[in-house]
Amino acid sequence: MTQQKLALITGGSKGLGKTLAGWLVHQGYDLILTARTADTLTATASELETADASIHALVGDVSDEAHQQAIADVVANYGQLDLLFNNASTLGTLPMPSLTDYDLDALAHVFRVNVIAPITLTQKLLPYLSDGLVVNLSSDAALGGYAGWGAYGASKAALDLISKTLANELHAQNVAVISVDPGDMRTDMHQDAFPNDDISDRPLPDVTLPFWGWLLGQDHMAISGQRFSAQAEVWEVTS
Amino acid sequence: MKVGSLHFDRPEHLVATCPASERGLSRDSIRLMVSTSEGHQHTQFHNLADQFRTGDVLVVNNSATMPASLPAEGRIGEFRLNLATDYGRGLWLAEPRWSVSQPGPLALKHGDVISIGELQAKLIAPYPNLPRLWFVQFDGCVVCSMDKIGEPIRYGYVKSAYDLQHYQTVFSRVRGSVEMPSAAYPFTESVVESLKHKGVQIAEITLHTGVSSLEVEVDDIEAHTLYPEPFSVSDETAQIINQAKEDNQRIVAVGTTVVRALESSWNGTVVQAKSGFTRRYIHPKVGIHVIDGLITGLHDPVTSHLAMLYTVASEDRIREAYREAIAEGYLWHEFGDSHLIWRG
Repeated sequence: MTQQKLALITGGSKGLGKTLAGWLVHQGYDLILTARTADTLTATASELETADASIHALVGDVSDEAHQQAIADVVANYGQLDLLFNNASTLGTLPMPSLTDYDLDALAHVFRVNVIAPITLTQKLLPYLSDGLVVNLSSDAALGGYAGWGAYGASKAALDLISKTLANELHAQNVAVISVDPGDMRTDMHQDAFPNDDISDRPLPDVTLPFWGWLLGQDHMAISGQRFSAQAEVWEVTS
Repeated sequence: MKVGSLHFDRPEHLVATCPASERGLSRDSIRLMVSTSEGHQHTQFHNLADQFRTGDVLVVNNSATMPASLPAEGRIGEFRLNLATDYGRGLWLAEPRWSVSQPGPLALKHGDVISIGELQAKLIAPYPNLPRLWFVQFDGCVVCSMDKIGEPIRYGYVKSAYDLQHYQTVFSRVRGSVEMPSAAYPFTESVVESLKHKGVQIAEITLHTGVSSLEVEVDDIEAHTLYPEPFSVSDETAQIINQAKEDNQRIVAVGTTVVRALESSWNGTVVQAKSGFTRRYIHPKVGIHVIDGLITGLHDPVTSHLAMLYTVASEDRIREAYREAIAEGYLWHEFGDSHLIWRG
């Protein structure tokens, strides 16, 4: 089959990250999966194990420096990284307080996980990302201004702008950067955001698979700098 | 809208089972029904230009058909793999079937490796909510394999295999469809000439068709899943359409693919050049913004295309037209008769 490639998915033990991992394993990628909870991560890694792909499961918090270094070490060992999915993120304090009531340390933590960590990983892994694609997972909350979603939404809005900026800054190095709003999905995170709602009407994360299939089939540099909605009716290439 | 709105009885025998030439007809001598708010007229397709005025714009799909049905072999034995859509880098959406007339189900699994001629391919995942379609990763040149061992996709009602040329239209220029964009099937050079002579402009879009979608299986038709197809609307075509609309000229789409591409490129005010994948589903709730008329074939009961037709004209008028078509013995499917529907 095709030559083995490497993909890193932060927050890869469940929800969208796990769905993506399952797709990439069959498409011939070796994987680095990270998550904070060892049990869930180990279970996912062994579930996805196939003869054709190796899976590196790294337990840790993406905002933790030692964990970031552990990731960089595995990537350095490979010598190249084809896909970086900055997928891990936090909703912050639950239930989500309004901005006027937000504890400022907790607010800073949201930005450390959702904004600073993706930048840090991009910085650290940049030497290995030539011809690679960085995908930053965003949200409609980045545009919404929904009451209660201020911290999370602002962090995702920042991540959108960071993606666009990095795309311009890294163009000459042949590194593509995009952001993707996966849309509402039936995940633990979505349930955390709506603790009292029945979310069984939301689609499972595999609803986004056609989008990922399409995205990875595109010329990365041609889509760099774009923001996509995975569940939109039209996926447009604007260049 | 409830799925019951898409039900009607189409007599079994009203199906074109072979190309027009096999029935002793030229393509443009097949029948054409013209539906307006005044009623329904019946003529032959070569008289199409009579329905047009100077300045009208006809928008056509320039996608050409590929021989996308391939013999495949795997753990489950021999079967056919009908390719649907090229996702790039060897990834295709495809429909595994037992045969032309027998769809499935086939007991395929994630990770299964199958052989298609000299190629190997791996099954990645079924399409969400459409388990008869699979994402398949190939390890070599798929188009080369099609040219070597592929046949045009056909279904049970077409009794014999016909050459690919029967699946091309006079507008086919860009390879990529797996089923003929069949609304353009009855067009001939002479019909095109007569339209140009009348002062009708012809503009092109590209939309590569996938495999036919199945019946709507949900109660609310708006909840039906359409899968995306690649399309492209050029700057030139966008300008021709926008200018014509500004001048109050009429825009007529040749085929539901054209309507999808144009509605996907409509920004609320004008048509913009755009390319990508679209799964825009046109039904009465979302409305239609670009076209004034649609030339299309006759569509089967319970298909999502009927919802588009109800958006161009009303459900009542389409039902009335279909009653006439059945009474007059019109033929359904890709080699069948044609229908021009004016909006309103």
